[in-house]
Amino acid sequence: MTGSGKPSGGILEWLAIRNAVEKLGAQRVWSDALSWTRFTGSLALALLVLLCLTGVFMAFNYTPVPGTAYDSVDFAQFSLPFGGLIRGVHHYAWNLLLMVMGLHLARALVVAGYQPPRELTWISGLLIMLFIPVFIITGDLLPWDQKGFWSTQVRTSIMGSVPVAGDWMVRLLQGGPRTGIVALTRFYVLHLLVLPGTLLLLVGLHFHFVAHRGVSEPLFSTRERRQVSLFPTMVNRWLLLLLIITVALGAVAYLWPVPLGDPADPTDSNYIPKPEWWVLFLNQLVAIFRGPLMVLGTAVIPGALAAGLMVLPFIDRGPERHPLRRKAMLTVIAAIGLVLLVLSIMGYLEHYGPPPA
Amino acid sequence: MDENREAATGGQRYTDRRGFLKTVVLAGTTLATAGIPLAAYFVSPALEKGGGRWVDFGAVADLNDGETAMLSFEYMVKDGWQVLPQRGFVWARRGPGEAVKVMSSTCTHLACNVIWKPERQVFECPCHTGIYDAEGRPISGPPARPLAVLEHKIEDGKLQVYLTA
Ligand code: HEM
Ligand code: FES
Repeated sequence: MTGSGKPSGGILEWLAIRNAVEKLGAQRVWSDALSWTRFTGSLALALLVLLCLTGVFMAFNYTPVPGTAYDSVDFAQFSLPFGGLIRGVHHYAWNLLLMVMGLHLARALVVAGYQPPRELTWISGLLIMLFIPVFIITGDLLPWDQKGFWSTQVRTSIMGSVPVAGDWMVRLLQGGPRTGIVALTRFYVLHLLVLPGTLLLLVGLHFHFVAHRGVSEPLFSTRERRQVSLFPTMVNRWLLLLLIITVALGAVAYLWPVPLGDPADPTDSNYIPKPEWWVLFLNQLVAIFRGPLMVLGTAVIPGALAAGLMVLPFIDRGPERHPLRRKAMLTVIAAIGLVLLVLSIMGYLEHYGPPPA
Repeated sequence: MDENREAATGGQRYTDRRGFLKTVVLAGTTLATAGIPLAAYFVSPALEKGGGRWVDFGAVADLNDGETAMLSFEYMVKDGWQVLPQRGFVWARRGPGEAVKVMSSTCTHLACNVIWKPERQVFECPCHTGIYDAEGRPISGPPARPLAVLEHKIEDGKLQVYLTA
């Protein structure tokens, strides 16, 4: 590695990108921005890239029409070479992305990565995180199988139970009262066009603030901090990570093929949609509060949690970052985390455990 | 003229107040002009009324006295640019005597389909274990309201139920 390979004038000049390339080559970043102790953000980016890549290719063999949608996914998965792998990687990538983003958030909470001057890095990151579920909700309906169809019924009725705006949100989202061709078309356009576009914007914003406000200094390591070149050193590290995660997800998708359920059947009374692992706690919240209190579980508590995270940098302003000297803050955060975990376990036992006697 | 102003402000275009106001007006007008048709285009399908219809469920005599039966329906509805069968089912109970009660299968909590459990004489909702009694009144679990009672009539011995959406 030569470090700063001087670009050879000719072609760069001709493409009028010489300045840009030289600037990029001179860009230095902290070596620990992507390291063994700080990798969740880079991993999340790798997963987003994989999601876009597999998603675009799946779209080449997908038609957003009830019934036909199922056939197209079935055909792609079982009749096209690597069809199962591509769908599988898409599926496992979003599951892993949720976990990785959870870790990314947890790390920032523990080491106070949200403190000034990184408030906007934190807020843009939260926006991305709140945005990913919309991707999953719209994507889930696309295969038009039982699971997607019935989960959508549950989700739209949770949304619809929100006072005043609820019914309207559902109608706008579905383009009418029912989950049919208009709804599927809307979900499709959201999932493949509108959401990826918005996501690109948000990720750009997040990186803008990461670049300008920097990453927080390591708290526990005593080694001296070094800088490395963004290109090629950092880019190569990230590419290695992308390669590893691609191979790993491919292997997982090969060993545990993603199931494709039965085609959606709105009359099937026996189909019980089970909430997925990442919404178990929400589902429990929704089940705990009844009647007029229901809005607590569907809107007030989730909304308060999100708002609380948003304003965190303005409450815990630092400069104290060490977790042991932020005991009060971390106790509150841990308590909330524990409640969410307990709710998730309760939900798991209710929906996946042995049937009640 | 623009050059003059730029020169006057030392090349700092962002201090050009009038220019900025023009941008705001132009962009705002464009947004409103394009936005109104676009928004109407996006929102209009959502305004579609569900509408209702009488659906024939066959002879009342087919219902056994005192039993709760699942009656399936299928009718055509307009869904955007397609006409599609809408399928589902309702719960109907005959008795005592000639009285008939037709209940929606839609759980009043979050709209899962409730299932009749003859052994225990209750409706059970699989989603959050809501339980209703035989009359559709909530007994336990999250549901707070009873199952919707559907309007019905009997014509020539046939059960007709008014279904919306
Ligand atoms: C960035 C986050 C993304 C998430 C979280 C996501 C999530 C999902 C989910 C949950 C499904 C349901 C199918 C399954 O479980 O395997 C799905 C399907 C699909 N996604 Fe995505 N997706 C993302 C990005 C994209 C992008 C960028 C595209 C394309 C531009 C795309 C295209 C598709 C297509 C065509 C399907 C239907 C085919 C199938 O289900 O196998 N996705 N997506
Ligand atoms: S939907 Fe029936 S109990 Fe929740």
